[in-house]
Amino acid sequence: MQLFKTTSLISALLLAGLSHAAELRVLTHSSFAVSKPLLAEFEQQNGVKLSIIKAGDAGEMVNKLILTRANPIADVVYGIDNTMMGKATAAGVLLPEAAERKSGQPQLPGATSIDYGYVTLNYDKAWFAKKQLPLPKKLDDLTRPAYKDLLVVENPATSSPGLAFLLSTISAMGETRAMAFWAKLRDNGVKVSKGWTEAYYTDFSRNGGARPIVVSYATSPAAEVFYSKEKLSTSPTANLLLPGAVFQQVEGAALVKGGQQAALARKFIAFLRSDAVQKDIPTSMWMYPVQPGIALDPVFQHAEKPAAHTTPNQQQIAANSAGWVGKWTRIVLKSGQ
Amino acid sequence: MSERGRRAGLALLPLAFLLLMSILPLLRLLQEGQGAVSTGLFADRYLQWRVLWSLLQAAVSCVAALLIGLPVAWCLARYRFPGRSLSLRLLMLPFVMPTLVAAMGVLALFGPQGLLGVNLQDTPWLLLYGNLFFNLPLVIRAACEGLAQIPASRLAAARTLGATPWRVFWRVEWPAVRPWLLSALCLVFLYCFSGFGLALLLGGQRYATVEVEIYQLVSYELNLADAGALALLMLLVTGVIATLYAWLERRLAAPLKVDPVLPRRPQGMEWLQLVAALALLLLFAGLPLLAVLWRAVQAVAASGFSLLHDEEVLLALGNSARFSAMAVLLAALLGWLHALAARGSLWLRALAFLPFVVSPVCVAFGLLLLYPQWSASLPLLLASYALLAYPFVARSLAGALDSLPRHWPQAARSLGASPLRVFARVEWPLLRPAFRRGLAFAAATALGEFAVTLFLSRPEWLTLTTLIYQRLGRPGADNAASAMLLACLLMLLALLAFLIIEWPSAAERQLRKES
Repeated sequence: MQLFKTTSLISALLLAGLSHAAELRVLTHSSFAVSKPLLAEFEQQNGVKLSIIKAGDAGEMVNKLILTRANPIADVVYGIDNTMMGKATAAGVLLPEAAERKSGQPQLPGATSIDYGYVTLNYDKAWFAKKQLPLPKKLDDLTRPAYKDLLVVENPATSSPGLAFLLSTISAMGETRAMAFWAKLRDNGVKVSKGWTEAYYTDFSRNGGARPIVVSYATSPAAEVFYSKEKLSTSPTANLLLPGAVFQQVEGAALVKGGQQAALARKFIAFLRSDAVQKDIPTSMWMYPVQPGIALDPVFQHAEKPAAHTTPNQQQIAANSAGWVGKWTRIVLKSGQ
Repeated sequence: MSERGRRAGLALLPLAFLLLMSILPLLRLLQEGQGAVSTGLFADRYLQWRVLWSLLQAAVSCVAALLIGLPVAWCLARYRFPGRSLSLRLLMLPFVMPTLVAAMGVLALFGPQGLLGVNLQDTPWLLLYGNLFFNLPLVIRAACEGLAQIPASRLAAARTLGATPWRVFWRVEWPAVRPWLLSALCLVFLYCFSGFGLALLLGGQRYATVEVEIYQLVSYELNLADAGALALLMLLVTGVIATLYAWLERRLAAPLKVDPVLPRRPQGMEWLQLVAALALLLLFAGLPLLAVLWRAVQAVAASGFSLLHDEEVLLALGNSARFSAMAVLLAALLGWLHALAARGSLWLRALAFLPFVVSPVCVAFGLLLLYPQWSASLPLLLASYALLAYPFVARSLAGALDSLPRHWPQAARSLGASPLRVFARVEWPLLRPAFRRGLAFAAATALGEFAVTLFLSRPEWLTLTTLIYQRLGRPGADNAASAMLLACLLMLLALLAFLIIEWPSAAERQLRKES
């Protein structure tokens, strides 16, 4: 099987090389991981050579797109999400598509939605069992002395999940109350890490850190089982779906304004919404497919899917995000300086 | 052709390279910001703290490296003990270690639930320790070389005149070793002040440096004007230090060693001194690497080697080796030309520092703005590797060229040897060790260069560094374990590059024995 895959991949590459295929430049965030055979199949069927270009996380990617808008570095972009969509639209770097009514939920206005997921709190089951501490019931519990020094969050200025989490608290409480909540969290010893990797692998108690609650994704508990040597029967972590602590992130794809190969770019977007890719997404990028009726890998039983979320709409995010992050930075990071 | 014209010709290629890959990108970024610097940028107390801390941590690292390095160097230079020459050689090891590996080692030691049981995270000590890991060996080596320049006869004379060892140190050894230390400390300050990777990985929110601030301003806030202003401020400070260094280093050219002091066996309490010195060396320069090894062993014990049986690991290994090899070739060419051109030219010598002192973040984004159509192309990626790697070759060779005795080639010429023969038989053998050392540094830089991760990347260009990041970007015990294994692999690869290039040939060993 492996041999077959490799041979077909090589022959696809050779064919692509021989036929001087057109090139389609795809800009993605660094988590892009659609399986190689699927990409090779797309190349073969469309006589195109895909150039996948990774440009950091979603925020960095959009900034690079904006910086190079005069001379775009890609024809199509994938991985743009509802936290960054407003910024990209305001900068005019995407080609506004005629609002095609597409199946699938949820939607990403201004682009074509491909997948979605939730940013929320994860907790370390073993830690709470050992300390016999009841789980917090609401966000405000995290500001109580019993939960002092237990939470690690990502800096919303430098991390997508960090920003998403901040947005969900603001959407749930309103700006004033949310900022007061963050001030109390700060006084109760919330730890701020630069990004998800630092928070999850250095500070989260599951991985040798000291904090049993971390801002992560609702699919992380399933990934913990998937990427475990002895194939765990239960996940060592679980979601802590507190009201006001769940953000729905929708990722999509769009044509880059000034890019080439518009027809191929549209085909690529359709390809990302095809059954094969939609089925591949859950266990390669740990997001849920937007197309209905796609069966999930059984490992997803370990990830409780949130029933509700508090997510501001794109216009609210676009208009206020920078101001909110600035306020948050002053309150949580720069206080006392 | 005149000497001047010849030098200009040699300098053409490296200067054009620096212009295209470093100066123009920076200018392009500044232009994009259009000087719209925030009013009161430098009045912001948060930013003032960043600048102050950047200076402070570099200064503290210098002082600590001096206070620890000098006694250790003295013991290594003066005492004879089994494994002495090996220890001197191993001093180079931290310097070739990729930043990511070092940071993972430091965190494994002093992070939360670190191997030593002390959590230094969110304290300034983590970054300072990391700084010392890289820079202490630098100071020790410089001090050793300085101590080796003191004629044994002078020490003997001082002793005969009744000076105590302490007095001998202050009146004879210290003045001789001082310029060597000063030049090494310039380098330490430069690395610590403009350091990016280590500060990003170890500084946390509070103890990050200006360079990390620049990264956040450009990459996340798209605030090019403020970032540019900060980059210029950095350039001002580092430019002064780099010029000072180039000036100091030129004065250090020490052609021939006359009767160097032979190391002697320590006696009585002196053994204690030696053991303490070696323990300090191990604590600062050895422990993080051992920690990486230990964590990798733990990962293997938990998950086995199967984590490495992976298409991606092979691809990353191949790419890391391939890119490093190509970058080293390019660096060798540029380094030779730059070193030859910089013979006797202070400003060309200082220019070799440009890739270190120009903010790598600004260069990365400047390149993106300047050459968008090539920004995801392999030649540009390799050129960026070479940009960061070639100064090592240039500087190492420039130092060796300075200490080349000028009359030897002249003598060979007057005996009728052709210029080519003079080079092959006289100059090349004398330059070879420095050239190889430069290549070792260049290879190690290319293997683990952190700043390159700022550039656009392609899945087919996966390297070990990017793969470690990729693995650490996903939850799950297997991902964490394989990241640790890969870090260990990267460490071994750097070690291998170091051994291949730096290990003395049989002829050199023979020469050493005879002397």
